Amino acid sequence: MLTRSERERYDRQIMIGEIGQEGQGKLKRSRVVIAGTGGLGSPIALYLTAAGIGTIRVIDHDQVALSNLNRQILHWEEDVGRKKVDSARAKLRNLNSMVEIQAIAETITKENVSELVGGCDAIVDAMDNLPTRYILNRCAIEKNIPFFHGAVNGFEGRVMTVLPGETACLRCMYRGLVPQEKFPVIGVAPAVIGSIQATEVIKYLVGIGKLLTNRLLIYDGLRVTFSEFRLNKNPNCDHCGSLAGKE
Amino acid sequence: MVVKVHIHTTHRQFTNGSEVVAVEGNTVGECLSHLIKQFPGMEKALFAKKDKLLNNVEVYLNHASAYPNELLKPVQDGDDIHLVVMLTGG
Repeated sequence: MLTRSERERYDRQIMIGEIGQEGQGKLKRSRVVIAGTGGLGSPIALYLTAAGIGTIRVIDHDQVALSNLNRQILHWEEDVGRKKVDSARAKLRNLNSMVEIQAIAETITKENVSELVGGCDAIVDAMDNLPTRYILNRCAIEKNIPFFHGAVNGFEGRVMTVLPGETACLRCMYRGLVPQEKFPVIGVAPAVIGSIQATEVIKYLVGIGKLLTNRLLIYDGLRVTFSEFRLNKNPNCDHCGSLAGKE
Repeated sequence: MVVKVHIHTTHRQFTNGSEVVAVEGNTVGECLSHLIKQFPGMEKALFAKKDKLLNNVEVYLNHASAYPNELLKPVQDGDDIHLVVMLTGG
């Protein structure tokens, strides 16, 4: 049930036929984990907070650095040196005090991931490295929680949505380790990709639209093109297929 | 078989800036060999060793993932191959 204040606050999105008061109620009752509060995590957290998700849990072990500020718009000059989750929580609370913001300053590991994402309806990938993405992907599948992947480099980005047990997962095309390197990026790239991830989360929670499942969307900001590629669930995937749990 | 190979942004430095290259071959692997014949710099951009793609290279045939055994996939006249580099940043 929405309060009068909530009906007023979310009026413009309640006006969207596919959302309505019922959909807004679903968002209010939802709990979302955002893994990372950097370039991707910033727009994701801002838009999901603005949209009125009931509980948002942000996880990030890092502290704000000056070199983050070109893209990580949750963090400002005054935050340099501060824990990112504290900086994020402060901004998000100021944006929407009706949303419960849980801030966890921990490194996501195989050992703690299950606890960190426990009780949530959606896991959003806003990480900056593949190994942690795979930890989240596996956990999402094991706990049957939808996983919303995004990644960026330069002016480019990619997005896909994983429904555990039903659709291709992040690991389905795995060929081996990829070297971790410092990546170039300009803030508008994660702004686009993070906004699409947030859109996917909202659609999933409300139960509307067509999700980016079994599809990889690639955005090229330099040419302003979106390319879509079909993905197949890999029956031998070691996360979601026959090899799961046989590590 | 004439096939169009779409080159990823980061690889265009090896194709003199070309975004699309016409190649010939009966399989994805043959098409990539022809691509490398025209632009030898693409070999290191795509392959870790002979017949072993780099782990961060994805191949799509007619907008569908060619994984697994990408190089063995047959192609037809007019097909499109997209070479895409996996992204890891956030």
